[in-house]
Amino acid sequence: MMSRTVYVCCGTGCLANNSMDVYKQLKKLAQKYEADVEVKTIVKATGCNGLCEKGPLVKIQPDNICYSKVKPDDAEEIVKRTLMNGEIIDRLLIYDTALKRRVISHKDTDFYKCQMKIALRNIGEIDPANIDEYMERGGYKALRKALFQMTPQDVISEIERSGLRGRGGGGFPTGVKWRQCSKFQNFPKYVICNGDEGDPGAFMDRSIMEGDPNTVIEGMTICAYSINSNRGFIYIRDEYSLALNNMNNALNQARERGLLGKNILNSGFDFDIEIVRGGGAFVCGESTALMQSIEGNVGEPRAKYIRSVEKGLWGQPTVLNNVETWANIPEIIMKGSDWFCSIGTENSKGTKVFSLVGKVKNTGLVEIPMGTTLRELVYKIGGGIIGDKKFKAVQTGGPSGGCIAEDLLDLPVDFDSLKEAGSMMGSGGIIVMDERTCMIDVARYYLSFLSEESCGKCVACREGIKRMLEILTDICDGKGIEEDLELLESLCHTVEEASLCGLGKTAPNPVLTTLKHFRNEYYAHIIEKRCPAGVCPELTAYEIDKKLCKSCGLCAKNCPASAILGKRGEAYSINTQLCIKCGNCIDSCRFNAVKVKKEVGK
Amino acid sequence: MKIIIDNIECEAQKDETLLQIARRNDIHIPTLCHNDALPGLGSCRLCVVEIVDKGRRSVVASCIYPVRNEIEVYTCSDKIKNIRRNLLMLLRGRVPNDETIKKLCKEYLVPDRIKFSGDKDEHCILCGLCVKACQELGASAISTVNRGITKKVTTPYDEPSAQCIGCGSCAYVCPTDAIKIEEKDGIRNIWNKEFQLLRCTRCGKPFATKEQLEYNREKLGEAHVKLLCESCKKAIIAEKLKDIYEKV
Repeated sequence: MMSRTVYVCCGTGCLANNSMDVYKQLKKLAQKYEADVEVKTIVKATGCNGLCEKGPLVKIQPDNICYSKVKPDDAEEIVKRTLMNGEIIDRLLIYDTALKRRVISHKDTDFYKCQMKIALRNIGEIDPANIDEYMERGGYKALRKALFQMTPQDVISEIERSGLRGRGGGGFPTGVKWRQCSKFQNFPKYVICNGDEGDPGAFMDRSIMEGDPNTVIEGMTICAYSINSNRGFIYIRDEYSLALNNMNNALNQARERGLLGKNILNSGFDFDIEIVRGGGAFVCGESTALMQSIEGNVGEPRAKYIRSVEKGLWGQPTVLNNVETWANIPEIIMKGSDWFCSIGTENSKGTKVFSLVGKVKNTGLVEIPMGTTLRELVYKIGGGIIGDKKFKAVQTGGPSGGCIAEDLLDLPVDFDSLKEAGSMMGSGGIIVMDERTCMIDVARYYLSFLSEESCGKCVACREGIKRMLEILTDICDGKGIEEDLELLESLCHTVEEASLCGLGKTAPNPVLTTLKHFRNEYYAHIIEKRCPAGVCPELTAYEIDKKLCKSCGLCAKNCPASAILGKRGEAYSINTQLCIKCGNCIDSCRFNAVKVKKEVGK
Repeated sequence: MKIIIDNIECEAQKDETLLQIARRNDIHIPTLCHNDALPGLGSCRLCVVEIVDKGRRSVVASCIYPVRNEIEVYTCSDKIKNIRRNLLMLLRGRVPNDETIKKLCKEYLVPDRIKFSGDKDEHCILCGLCVKACQELGASAISTVNRGITKKVTTPYDEPSAQCIGCGSCAYVCPTDAIKIEEKDGIRNIWNKEFQLLRCTRCGKPFATKEQLEYNREKLGEAHVKLLCESCKKAIIAEKLKDIYEKV
């Protein structure tokens, strides 16, 4: 009998677009019609497929069909036509903006073609609530291999040789960390998974914990075996309810199968993992603050002059890695370090998961080999800028990262190249900005985020960020003076050097990189008193180019202040007295007729 | 092992802090949040120094930096002076009328007019020494709450704390005298809580709270806690010593 399997994406993005209803409806209808035809249908809810922009996604195997933006009402047609008769429903296929046509399989789109999935290998392919599906795809084989065919030293050497570096942002060599920790004969030792992803716009770790929780458990267990630890913690931020749920479920199933707990797989090795729910402080993603939080203290970092591998959780040797790092471990053990080394650049091996967001056509979760250029990321995988506007910058590395300008678009993305450009890899958030983004406003946004999220313990970070934010706010409000820039730079260096933890040390990055790549924009705000991107209300005025205006009236329709007047057949005009500078008119005009004025007239 | 601080060779033990070693050798490093009895905060950052460890230069907080290698240390390079000047400028922005900070600002050449302004009645620099003192003494009545720019030191929900014994240790260790203790008619008011003061059995001066005495009794045992103020305790010991020496 022929069988078809339907995979309904139930990652957070698709769930928000009602994919659970799609799943239920498909399941109901598949059962209803099953009796009538010779097609056995299995409907599965999977983790995030990555192309959140086009969700909810429904994949059908073995036909290799992928439907996008599926609604519960489409279920009947999918069951009747595709599942029962193998027909393709054209209107539900993904429209590829590069190829300018609809494609049958999602794998035919540029978004997926340029990717290489290691950490995300199972996500979207399995039901995360079912450990058997993980095992069918080779899950827990690496753990068996480590326990029965390798010594702890072999495991560490393999990870060292692979060149894997911490995916949480720091990029510290994972194998070296394990090696150092294994040398301390001070027990108990702990293994921690950092799942406190807090960067605005980042959802890599979330998707892994939601879509493939077992890979994290397997990775941690392998590490525990190599450093001789018996207790692990997974720190998950409390907002990630689905991740908490799926992880808890996976832990229980792993215990039932003897993959966790006492005497794992009869090897004599004991290891168990607890989940700790984070309270939602960004700073608790910093490793030492995270450990404080697990201990039940206020989440404040400590100086890392003595590393956590020596004195970490409760003062004991501890290995802490990020979710994505753990997800790479089983694959490296199974396929070997030589295979892993063959991917990536000289000093950054393997792949990196990014959450690609901002003004690109295809937003979502992507995994690319290290060394892929930003241009490929933005224009091929991302499909270019929305509305084909002009590219301005990409922001990498979260709030503590930096902005990279157009002249560095061909930069191969890896730990070292990003650092050289003044930004950083961070945990992998990539925000694409177009010409309608004011870079000072961007720096101000990140500093205001950090001013609230700094733990507030040390003077440099708490007071420094607060004052830098004041200066930037003055500049955006048109009150900036030239001396401010000098003071701003001086403060940046003090905060960078004198802060206690990584949060403070990297907090000036958004300011330093915008000062470096977009200094002219600062001058425009301070000297010419205008915001070239037309964002800062005090420094912005719009006008309508009479020659370009087609008199369609769309701008007037979108103006919330009724500041745009005009008649059909005549060019429209803006009443600057009423204008609230929201920019809706610019964004809605299809003919580029609305412009940011060169002179603000102040 | 030996380390070099400002070109002076200093003897050092493994894991001693740089500040300890510097102070032993009469090398001045300014601090605000450091107290020998309550070390390890590292929050004011004023004690930053430059170190060169195996050729690598970095800035570290000397009060918490444990020495493990034979390093070179520079306590007042231009870079360090600049950092301290900026930190003090930031602190003055926070506590514009605090004398301790003003004095340090003068020492580190912070200009009289700065861009930043703050609450003229504020004296707390959020160093956390008070919280640590309260914790170490066992009462844990105060704590830092919130984070970032809204951080402050207070009792739970800003209400009078059931735990507070009114001992005043927090105020005693505060480097900027930010914690106010009011005493009037035998009543002490601290952290919005009133305490009856007990009188010294020798001189009759009100000196400690009832809660404090009870706490000490519980901790040390009845025999060790007497109703004597600090100066009377000293006077009695001095008399005892006098007796001993006279008899000898």
